[in-house]
This record gives sequence, C-alpha cells and structure tokens, in this order.
Amino acid sequence: MHISKMGVGAAVRVSVVAASLLAGASWIGQAVADPVTLTWGMWVGSDAEKAAWQHVADMVTAKYPDIKIELQTASWPDYWTKLPTLVASNQLPDIVSLQSLRTPGFASVMTPLDDMAKRDNFDVGAFDKSIIGGLSSDGHLLALPYDFGPLLVYYNADMFKKDNVPVPKEGWTEDDFKKAAKTLTHDQQYGFGIGGVDQVISWISSAGATYLKDGNLDITNDKFAAAFQDYVDLVGKDKVAPLQAASGGAQLGDMARGSFAAGNIAMVIDGPWQLINLKSSVKFTIGLAPVPAGAAGSITVTAGSGFGISQTSQHKEEAWKALQILTGPDAEQYLASQGRAFAARIADQQYWYKAAAVGVDNAEAGMNAALKGTVPYITTPNWNTVNNLFEQYEPLALSGKQTGAEVLATINKLSAQ
Amino acid sequence: MTSPPSITGAVSRRRGGRLWYDSLSALGFLAPGLIGLLLFLVLPLIASLVLSFTNWKIMGKTSFIGLGNFSQALTVDPVFWQVLFNTILFTIEYLVLNIIISVGLALALASLRWGKQFFRLVFFLPTFAPLVGSSVVWLLIFTPGGFLDWVMAALHIPLPNLITDPSWAMQCVVIVSLWAGFGYNLLLFGAALESIPQQYLDAASIDGATGWQRFWRIKLPLISPSLFFGIVLTAITSLQVFDQVYALTRGGPGAATQTLGYKIYRDGFISYNFGYASSIAWILFVVIMVLTAVQLGLQRKWVHYDA
Amino acid sequence: MPEVREASAARTAGSVVVHVFVVLLAVAFLFPFFWMLSNAVRSNSEVLAVPPRLLPSEWQWNNFIDALSFLPFGRFFLNSIAVSLAITLITLIVSSLAGYAFARIRFPGRDSLFLLYLSTLMVPQAVIVIPLFLLMSRLGWVNTYQGLILPVAFGSFGTFLMRQFFLTIPRELEEAALIDGCTRLRAFWSIFLPLATPALGLLSLFTFTGQWNSFLWPLIVVNGTDHSTIPLGLTAFQGQNGTQWNYIMAGAAISMLPGLALTILLQKYIFKGIAISSGFGGR
Repeated sequence: MHISKMGVGAAVRVSVVAASLLAGASWIGQAVADPVTLTWGMWVGSDAEKAAWQHVADMVTAKYPDIKIELQTASWPDYWTKLPTLVASNQLPDIVSLQSLRTPGFASVMTPLDDMAKRDNFDVGAFDKSIIGGLSSDGHLLALPYDFGPLLVYYNADMFKKDNVPVPKEGWTEDDFKKAAKTLTHDQQYGFGIGGVDQVISWISSAGATYLKDGNLDITNDKFAAAFQDYVDLVGKDKVAPLQAASGGAQLGDMARGSFAAGNIAMVIDGPWQLINLKSSVKFTIGLAPVPAGAAGSITVTAGSGFGISQTSQHKEEAWKALQILTGPDAEQYLASQGRAFAARIADQQYWYKAAAVGVDNAEAGMNAALKGTVPYITTPNWNTVNNLFEQYEPLALSGKQTGAEVLATINKLSAQ
Repeated sequence: MTSPPSITGAVSRRRGGRLWYDSLSALGFLAPGLIGLLLFLVLPLIASLVLSFTNWKIMGKTSFIGLGNFSQALTVDPVFWQVLFNTILFTIEYLVLNIIISVGLALALASLRWGKQFFRLVFFLPTFAPLVGSSVVWLLIFTPGGFLDWVMAALHIPLPNLITDPSWAMQCVVIVSLWAGFGYNLLLFGAALESIPQQYLDAASIDGATGWQRFWRIKLPLISPSLFFGIVLTAITSLQVFDQVYALTRGGPGAATQTLGYKIYRDGFISYNFGYASSIAWILFVVIMVLTAVQLGLQRKWVHYDA
Repeated sequence: MPEVREASAARTAGSVVVHVFVVLLAVAFLFPFFWMLSNAVRSNSEVLAVPPRLLPSEWQWNNFIDALSFLPFGRFFLNSIAVSLAITLITLIVSSLAGYAFARIRFPGRDSLFLLYLSTLMVPQAVIVIPLFLLMSRLGWVNTYQGLILPVAFGSFGTFLMRQFFLTIPRELEEAALIDGCTRLRAFWSIFLPLATPALGLLSLFTFTGQWNSFLWPLIVVNGTDHSTIPLGLTAFQGQNGTQWNYIMAGAAISMLPGLALTILLQKYIFKGIAISSGFGGR
C-alpha cells in the first residue's frame, strides 16, 4: 500500500539507499571486526612463566582490541605428547608454539608464512638467520622465532679458580678442554657433564662430521662414529664425566645440569635459555664460553622456539597479526629483559645481556664467540624418535657396555621404523 | 525345603511372570553400567583393533595394511621380542616376590599381639602416593652417586650402579613395584588369614602339627581362593606395567627395562606411530588373556573352595 | 607340664623375634618416605649432591608453600579430589546395581554377559586410550571434567567385587521380601545396600586411590593446568629449564594426605569388606 502511494521510483531510491547503507555498515563492521579469540598453545614450567606469556598475549590485545588470546598450556614434556593428539582430533590451537628441532615433524599441519610476510613487507631479516632456518621446512617459513641460542659451555668459575685452571675462552681446543676436565676431576667432583643428542651433534660438528645425508639420518658414517666414541669416552675411558641415569622426566643433559648446579660438575654444555633459572639456584659464579674447537673448529648448533599458525585455524589473518606482535620488538625486549629469551631479533639481544647475563663471567664474549661458529640445527621429521633413542641407548656406550658404533647402529635401525 | 501347599500354587504362578519381571529388572539394574561399559570400553576396544590394521601416523597418508603391523612386530622390529621377554620376566619375578612377601608378612603380622592395624597401614602407605612420585624418590635413591651407591660403598658391596646397568636396571623397576604394590595383597591375605576359624589351628596344634605343617596343610588351602584372586589381578596389572617404567628408566638403558606397556606409549606418543602402537596393544591384550585363561584352568588343581 | 612351659617360652621368644623383624622391615620400608620429606625441604641444587646428604644443610620448610605457588598445585589438588570423588561415586552406584543383578537375578544370558565383564578387566588401558581420546574429541570432551571422569568410571572391577559380596548374603532374606510383594529395587535399596557397607567401603578406597594416582588417561585428555590432576602436576615440575626435584617431593608428600585420611576413616570397613568380597576368604 505504501509503495503504491510512494511510487516505484521512490521505492527504488529507498532500497538503493538502504542497500548502500547496509553495505556500508557491513564494511564498517569488517573494519571494526567481530572480536576473535585465538587459542595459543605454549609450554610453561611455572606460574611465573605463564604470567610472562600472558603479558605478551595482552600486548596483542592492546594493539588489536578485537583480538583476544587464550593460552592453552602444558608442561614441557607433556606438550609434545599432546600435540599429536591435538592434530588427530582436529583441535590444534590457532597459534602453535614450536621448537626448531621438532618443526619438520609437524610441518604438514602448519601454515607457511612466506606469502603473508611478503605481502605485508614483514622484515624476516631482522631475525637471526640460523633460527629462521631452524623454523623452516622445505624452504617454507613455518614459525616466527622468539628466542634462540647456540649451545655453549657453562663453567663453574669458582671451581676453576680453586684448581688453578685457566678458564675456557675463545679459541680453546678439545685438548685444552680435556686437560682442564682431567685436572678438575678429583674426589667427588667431575670436570664435565654428559648430555644427549643435542650436545652430541655439537661435538661431532666440531670434529667435522655430518649426521645427515640428503635429509635423512646418517649417523653410522666413520667420522660420526669416531667423534661419538670420542665423546662417550669422556665417561668411560677418560673418566672426566660421571655416568648418570637418563630417567624420570629428566633427560641426560638435565641430570648433568642438576649436578652442575649442585657444584659437583665443573662444565656442562647447554643453551642460554637455562641461564636465568640456573643463576637463581646456584651459589657460585657461572661463566660462559664457546664449545671447544675440534678438527673443524668450534662449531655449535643453535636451537630456538617460535610461534606458527596451524593449517586448521579459522582465523589465519588475525593469527598472523598476533604473531607479529608476539615476536615484535616490544615483546622481544620484554622477554629478553626478563631473561626468558635470548631474542631472535638481533637488535633486542642486548637486553638479554643486561638482564640474564648480569653477574656471569664472560657472558658477552662467550656468546659472541659461540655465535660465530653456529650452524642451523637441521633435523629429520622423526627427530622426536631420534632424540628418544639417544636417551635410551647412549648410556650403553657411556657405561662401556657397547661401543659407540654399536649404539649408533641400533639407533639407526630403530629410527627407520 | 518344602513349602505349604497353599503357597506352592502362588509361587509357581509367579515363576512364569517372574522370568519377564526378572529380565526387565535386570536390564534396569544393568543399564547404566552396561551403557558406560559399551561406550567407553568396548567401542574403543573395537576401534583400536581397526586401527591396528592401519598405518595411521596422524600426519601424512593413512592406509589399511592388514596384518602388516603384526608381522612387523613379530619379524622386523628389533626390540619387540626383547620387550615381550622383559614384560613376561618382570611379571613372573614381580608376581612370585609379591605373593611370597605379602603372604609371609601377612602371617607375621597375624601373629603379632599388638600393632597389627598400625603395621598394615604402614605397608599400605605407598599406595597413596602417585606411582610417578614414588618412582622419582626411588630414582633419587638409585641414581649414580645417590643414596644406594653410598650405602653399597660403605658396606663394601661390589655391585655396579643398578639403574645404569642393563643387567640390573629391571631389578630397580621390580623393587619399586614391590615397594609400592604389595600393600594391597597384604591386606587381602591378612583378611583371609583372619577368617580362618581358630579351632582348626588349635586342633592341629594339639595333634602335634608344627607351624610349618599348619601353614601348608590348613592355612594355605583355606586362603587359596583369596590367593587365586590376588594372583590373577596382580598378574593382569603387572603385565601392563607403565607408570614406573616411564618415571624411573624410560625403558632404558637400551631396551633393558622396556615393557609392552611402555612400548605402546613410546611408539604411539613419541614416534607418533599410532597404528603400530595399537597392534602392540592388542598383542599385550592377547598375552593377558592367555595367561589368565591358563590360571583359570589351573585353578582346579590347587584352589579349594568350600571349607 | 615342663613341655608346655617350654613351648610357651619358645612361642614368646618366637613372637619377639617376629616383632623385631617386622619393626626393622617397617623402618627400612619407610625410608623412601623419609627421603621424600628430606629432599622436599632442601634447596634444589642439594638434591643431587654427591655424596648424598641425609639431612638438608638448610631447612626450607617453605618449599611446601613454594611448590603450591610455583605451579597451581592447589588447583591440581582440588581437581584430583573432585575427579576421584566423582568417579568413586559413579562406580559405587553403577557397580552395586550391576553386582546385585548378576548375583541375585536370573536372566537369560547372565553368565555370558558376566564373562564379558570379566574379560574387560584384562583390557590394558593402553589399548583404548587412543580411540577413547578420539571419541572425546568427537564429543567435545577434551580437557573437560566429564572427559576426566566418565570414561574411567565404568570399569567392571567394582561389579565383580559387589557381585562376590552379594553372593554371600543369604537368599532367604530377599526371597521373603519378594514374596511380600517388594519390588527388586526396593529389596535392593532396603536390604542389600545397608548390608553391603563393608564392600562399598572397600570399593571406595580402591577406586579412590586408583583414580588419585591415575596418570596415563589424564595425561592424554587434559590440556593445560586448569584441569590437571596431581600426577600430571608432579611431572609439570620437570620443565624445559630443568627439574625442580624438591618441589616434586613436596608435592608428592602433600598428595598422600587424602588417601591417608580416607583409609583412617574407612578402616573398619576395609577389613571386613576384603574378607567377604574377595569371595572366598577362608570360608
């Protein structure tokens, strides 16, 4: 009735205006955006850590009020048990935290970030190159890094002083290392603490050996076997490192670190991420140094962690925005000043020195020297299994029950399953 | 028992309708449990059987491979037979020691004049601690340079460190399991012993039976039903041993302490090989069934029902 | 006469020997608890000290509190209590109903159904965790309380136990009630249940402590600390940055308290319950 009174022309005008208003409204709606809650899976070892991550998550909401982040946390060992179950049940969080070593294993469920980075002119070069490599697979970047670090030597400066041994420094060789360890091994204390596959790879790399061939695990080659035997002999033959049980939730390196913290071991190899926790629990001065140089120099591997977007995420664009904040300069500065991360962003690494490294001997010198000899830690998709196999079988070589070559052959066979 | 004629008719009339009534009420009583059992036990069980015929690894392609997993386990897998052997060896050793200790201690406690309840509680204490927690305590005791090594050195016992030695590591798992587990059977056998009428034992003593004879001829046969119950349940749980292995040795050193229960977790949740892990799980299930069937069969030979 | 005196003297001596033996064994047996507490109150770096220290150099009693705030251990504690209690309650209800049916009602297929129940006792948990997890994700129960409680509350052990127990109750009691026109349910409620308190007490204790310590299923179905139970919480102290051994020990010590309290409360029932429901205790 109304239309016939108003006339068709008027009706058309009204509907055109209404349509454009509606279109305009929805456009405005998209610009303002419906609030999105992203889920973010991350490992935490304490309430303090969780608070730190929450702080960083809040930074995202501060910049983008319509993006909220819900943290889904698990303890470090459990995180890797849970992740495949989440994949299996299609429950992957939007933002998935990944460690570089395990990235190839989960590559198939992560969204490659290269296109989005290129489209938005995101400067990937601001991050250290080795960790970008570590978080990539098949040439695609799968996660933006927040921290990384080379494996380097932690030493007990007090023990070195007491036994009058010159502290490790740039350019020191494996011979220097063994000599120092021997002098430091007496009574109930040892010079060195053995670690698992990470430290092994570092050691054999310095010896000039390789562990990959065409992307597949190759640990039975002669050079690797010889270097590995050299490493395990530190326990069995040279007796400068104690035999420790790899058990409980603790990995081989964990027990060594525990003994180091207790003041029973003079040197361990570990990453900078341990520094803040170690410092707070020890009663001596810690020092840092690069790994001893083998035949090929002082080569070490770097590992680190970052955040990626799952393939199944319904909010990839929002997640990408969030990622940029989570690994942005402000977040990196915060995390580094907390000592929680040796920033992957090169420019923010200084904050780590100002925080975590305070009171540590030769922190900057040691780190710089270590960083000079880093290679990216390339892993195979079944690295979780390989890691676990080293945990299980390396002790057999350490106790001398089997030779290094035999252990490597077993690990090789079992990892191929 | 004869019933007065007037009631018999009523009873027999009831019997016909009774069957219907009984079946319906049985359904009612069983329904909640049965639904849960079917949904949460039987259904996943069947699903796991289906899974065991695939090569599902969560990520990547999946396909049916029929008996491929089983043949891989039995013929290709380098550790399968050792793991099976470990599991059976652990079960036998643990079972025998558990029963001997719990029966022996139950006898000892039964003869105590005071403190019976107290000691029973003491030996039952470990069951309140999560096995994961207990295992960590024992880890600290067994660890090289830890308490046990210190004691052995002080006593000049020439044993190697147990937990890092492949020949001895399993004994650590047995010790922890015994410490944490025999409390249950202790209670069980203690109760059984207590319900033996004292007259039997007194009569035997008067007849000149020694303590040992009283045990073998009277106590043991009379508690044999409880003994059987305890042995069957203990065997079933010990074949599945996982918590202690996970927390104490992670199956190491090498595969010295790896059991089927741990291997399933490892192949499934560390190597993400879920199809294969399901097949191992089914092999374990079959082993349990076989062992239980054997025990049920042997029951006639040594278990005395009806005192 | 002298032989009797000799015999009774020998018996007393024997009894003293047994007492001493039991006491010594108990002391050795309790050592791990001492070790647990001793390590709980020392600093983390002292835990792995060589040679091992029997007592800490400084007593850190606040570790108990620190463990609670390092991780939301209080939350884990409450979760464990809520979950274990819920499972126990469901198990009691379901098992007594089913146990009664198997013990007292004759219906077609009873024996084969009972055999099915028995055989599920032999199913290793590891066989079903993976498919069960997939079921949980279909139902949307991952990381929820119902996911923690329901899948594990329907095991057949309770039914087995209650059936054994109900078998020992004289038939006359219930025949009389049924002839008087009682329904089965009424007979169950007013006759059988009250008599079953020892078995129920026993079943409660076994179920509660079993669920309290359950590790594998919660590990898989829980995602994060909100729904974590104590065993998960203990492993959470082993982080990427090393293991807090002293907190694990403190947490383990605290986690023993409820089970301990429950046993002391239910002491009476436990003993009676075991004897009768293991079915065959010396009858």
